[in-house]
Amino acid sequence: MMPLEAEDVKILRRQWRLSRALVVPVSLVVIAIARFHFKYRLDENIDAIRADIWKKLDAHDGPVIWAANHLTLIDSFLVYWAVFPVSRLIEDRRIPWSTPEYTNYYKLGGPIQSAFVRGLLYLCRCIPFLRGGEDAASENWRIKAFEKCAWVLKEGGAVFVYPEAGRSRSGWLEPKRPKDFLGKLALEVPTSKFLVVYLRSDRQISTTAAPPRGDRLRVAADLIDGILPGETNARDISQRLFNRLAELQQDWWKGSEMARNCGGNDVVDLKGPLLGENFSEDRTEADQEWLERHLTRKELAYLAEQGADKLFRTFWKFFCAKEACHKALGRAVIVVPNGAFHELEVDLFRRKAIHVPTGLQMDVRFTDDDEDKLHCVAVLRGGFIGDDETEGDVIWNVAEVPPGTSPGAFVRDLALDMIAGSNEDIGSSAKLALTENYGLPGVLWKGAPQDWSLSLSHSGRFAAASFMIS
Amino acid sequence: MAFMRKQAVVEALDINTITPDDAEKRITAGVKKYATNEANFASADANTPYLGHIVGMGIESSNLADITMSIERQFLTKMTTKTPVTEGSSEYKLTAGELGKLRILDGQDALAATPGLSVKMLMDLGHMAKNDAYLEKVMSFAYVMATGDGWKMADALKKMAGKAEKLAGAERSEALANLKTLISQAKDYDALLADSSKLAASKQKAYVNDKGGFDALSSELNLTLDKIKGASTGGDAATLAKLRGEEAEIRTRLKMSAAKLRVSQEVSDAAGKRRAIEDKKVAEVRAALQSSVSAAEKLS
Repeated sequence: MMPLEAEDVKILRRQWRLSRALVVPVSLVVIAIARFHFKYRLDENIDAIRADIWKKLDAHDGPVIWAANHLTLIDSFLVYWAVFPVSRLIEDRRIPWSTPEYTNYYKLGGPIQSAFVRGLLYLCRCIPFLRGGEDAASENWRIKAFEKCAWVLKEGGAVFVYPEAGRSRSGWLEPKRPKDFLGKLALEVPTSKFLVVYLRSDRQISTTAAPPRGDRLRVAADLIDGILPGETNARDISQRLFNRLAELQQDWWKGSEMARNCGGNDVVDLKGPLLGENFSEDRTEADQEWLERHLTRKELAYLAEQGADKLFRTFWKFFCAKEACHKALGRAVIVVPNGAFHELEVDLFRRKAIHVPTGLQMDVRFTDDDEDKLHCVAVLRGGFIGDDETEGDVIWNVAEVPPGTSPGAFVRDLALDMIAGSNEDIGSSAKLALTENYGLPGVLWKGAPQDWSLSLSHSGRFAAASFMIS
Repeated sequence: MAFMRKQAVVEALDINTITPDDAEKRITAGVKKYATNEANFASADANTPYLGHIVGMGIESSNLADITMSIERQFLTKMTTKTPVTEGSSEYKLTAGELGKLRILDGQDALAATPGLSVKMLMDLGHMAKNDAYLEKVMSFAYVMATGDGWKMADALKKMAGKAEKLAGAERSEALANLKTLISQAKDYDALLADSSKLAASKQKAYVNDKGGFDALSSELNLTLDKIKGASTGGDAATLAKLRGEEAEIRTRLKMSAAKLRVSQEVSDAAGKRRAIEDKKVAEVRAALQSSVSAAEKLS
């Protein structure tokens, strides 16, 4: 660690004094902008949420690390507004220092605008972070920012850090991918507690500059221990923090009209006679125009890198992933028009896909990739897709359609059997029913629609179904 | 050596020498090899969806691009001159020129879900003259989707009723609870179809989402432009180049977002307008829904 120099401490103390002197007008300006410019409203039960949190804060005399989910560029202001009642503004130690990304805020617009933004951030107790860059200067910047945060906490103050270290590109906080920064901070200042906040506006789907104007902001929050007895590992602490944030995320989604689980699947029968239609006999060449109708420039470049012998399989992997993503997005009421293949860009190497118009990122995974078939599942939000080491929240089944059977009917029975077989409480598929809601398949159990993100697919000899258990 | 496609050689003809009905017939014939529902294909008309198995031709989504390319192969057009959309833009549109191969550009086929809508697309793009008499019999994209959802719902209810009928004891009572919900959903959807203003309001949801996405992206672009302004003042060339890349990326996304918004706006607007053809198709699907409901209610 690199201890702060006396000059750094002096600068921080000066910033603290100035922001303390102006905290009331600055806070009122922030609230006024949120309420009157953006027309945001807070949760109807915000008073009860604040009362609960402040009861816990009043019982804890030590420093506090604010940790919240991150979707927009003004989240810090919104979380501050939601948690901090005006009547508490005199409690200087509780007002958090923020850690905005330097490149996002500190060089905005011309000299006047830039100076105004910098001045506002200075008074809002900001410690600029630089998340990108692997050079020594960037690394030193991060170390120094960490030390500044630790210094504030050791002085009994509060700092606000986003545990995900950036805005979530899927719109979902994934607890199985924790970052260590906050765990390290808690180890450095063991008397700290975490103020965990999940804030999201009602119609916030993807990562944006700000929530949609006029939206209601709903909040779930809790105060939890920084370090538990025996905890010495930053990852363990961060994991516990992420788990609590994930629980708050679940609470938030229980009150949402949007579907929480958004997944999809697709199966491709590689021996299907029409699949080779636009390929040469040996499948090492393809009609370029046809390829270009399906794939983006980046995808075409990747396809070319794979070589002629993998051309056929790689193309259909792209296609299969796009179809699965199309279904996952449909759950979030994001309609990818049929044939708009370029709206989705798949990175087969990183196992990610992006919906270009919204920037939403999805995870993709090939559960079946053999001579006969491909089966891909995609997850936008609601759970973990799983990998070779960690089991995910998606369950799937791929089966051959018996000759003479309608693939549509077969895949529906396959889905219900799979769901019933994976839950002892259900036991029999007779207790379930399939429903069609605005073109998307759904499941009824005990007469109630379930948020399981059922997805069905069939191609040639194969049928496949997937659903999410989170 | 140029790559050779395997499809049968089709002699392309000038689209302006045939009637819309003939164009529709050629379009339908061109997709025969992809259709998996023979019965529906045999009786296909202007309003038979390419996709879907209940009332559609059963074409799989893996052949969607083939439908568009099949249309391109069959017709010649005078709209062949590439003209930049705006001065200096790399994007282009097709304007009048010499007779040549018909080209359907990226995104132009987004609403062409039936042979009739494919013909409408060709008219909208100026490849053939607009023919109001023909268009009167073509159901709008919004209603192709809305009635398609209705057919799926009626089918699901019918199948569930058939299943529940064969059950006994506790399983039957659980199945009947599900059936009750399905009946209620079908009735709600029937009521939605009955009222075009309600249907339009429901389609508005997708439009509002898309509009929100478009607005959010516009804000991102403004922010990036502000960053560029800031970086220009500082003279940081590397940051400036990175930000210019970001700007180009956002502009591409914004273009796609605008195209998507146009589609959802058209669907939302069209859902509120109902002509004789939409009335007829809505009546058909409502009858199917009501018949499924009445059969299911006998069980519950």
